[in-house]
Amino acid sequence: MNVRKIVTIVDETLTEGGRPVEPAARVAVVAAVIENPWAGQGFVENLTAGIDANASDLGALLAPRVIEALGAPVEAYGKAAIVGLDGEIEHGSALIHTLKFGNHFRDAAAAKTLLPAVEKRGPAGIVFDIPLKHFTDATIRSHHQTFEVRIPDAPHPGEIVIALAAAAQGRPQQRLAALSTEQ
Amino acid sequence: MSVDLEPSPGSLDLEAAPRTPDWLRRIAVYREEVLLENAAAPAVPALKATAAAVIRNPWIGTPSSRDLSPEVEAIAPVLARELTGRLIATLGGTAAIEAFGKAAIVGTRGELEHAGALIHTPFFGNLMREFLEGESIICFADTRADAGETLVVPMWHKNHAATRSHYQTITARISDGPRADEIVVVAAASTGPRPHARIGDRRTDPTVSASTIAKGTK
Repeated sequence: MNVRKIVTIVDETLTEGGRPVEPAARVAVVAAVIENPWAGQGFVENLTAGIDANASDLGALLAPRVIEALGAPVEAYGKAAIVGLDGEIEHGSALIHTLKFGNHFRDAAAAKTLLPAVEKRGPAGIVFDIPLKHFTDATIRSHHQTFEVRIPDAPHPGEIVIALAAAAQGRPQQRLAALSTEQ
Repeated sequence: MSVDLEPSPGSLDLEAAPRTPDWLRRIAVYREEVLLENAAAPAVPALKATAAAVIRNPWIGTPSSRDLSPEVEAIAPVLARELTGRLIATLGGTAAIEAFGKAAIVGTRGELEHAGALIHTPFFGNLMREFLEGESIICFADTRADAGETLVVPMWHKNHAATRSHYQTITARISDGPRADEIVVVAAASTGPRPHARIGDRRTDPTVSASTIAKGTK
């Protein structure tokens, strides 16, 4: 696996709606810019070999880094695969929609739910939103949130950006009634 | 707030400021580690990062003649401390940092002078230089823009500004800032040179002028 660059983002929201957020709401993202394993091969019918060669390594690379960057217990999480213009979205999906990838994060964070995801194709510098949901119960409304990411020079046409996102809490100033109150 | 510029960073008393000032909305740290550039690992690996704060512009509605110094003296030292502290933490310590730069983006209801006020006075620049243990003038970029604008932040060597290997940039962007009445203030730093710096330096340059080019001697 050829990794060109690793990007780490740590974001703190200290006030929202004009009121303090205490403690500050933290979200972390770690992204790897990798060479598309199927670049230049035309239409590859069976993606299994590329998945086996890369997906677990990517999960092992990103999961500990995003947990360390967050610096607090993970309460919500998500993932992203942003494919460069010469690739298929299926290439990005192949790398992140497998337990080989996600289990590294799930196990390290003692999480139970599936990771919500964004898959998208675009030019270097494309803006993408990573959806995050609660790590043990995806119906917990307070933790539905998204985080916006942009890497200035990635992905190149033959690259894929693979990212994990983690939040230490739900939305800043979250105050919606629980889903159960509508049932 | 009174700030003594002489003592070491550890003795700077900024504790009088509230832990979360109501003018401070968001702080984002962005770090890049280049593992491969043009298919080869950098001979000298480096990390580079920005730390950006989104704050309320304290001068909205004030005239162009307004003295900016009271707010500069209250706000800029807090920003210098918060932003350089995060750079030091994310880049592996003060000693690891070799290059630095700074920037500000003012929202559309503010003056460009408001952005400059927060980064171009000793209340930010001297403190950033002191906290990062540098000696150079700090290079900069500024602009006025809507939220989500990207700004390329220049950096150069913190002790020897003419060191060509350390001329580099990093791109800063806050998705939802600055709002029209906000300012984004950015501190940037790098732990090393460009990935494959190989364009010489002043010591190795030939003599080049219009006449040497015309003569074909260089």
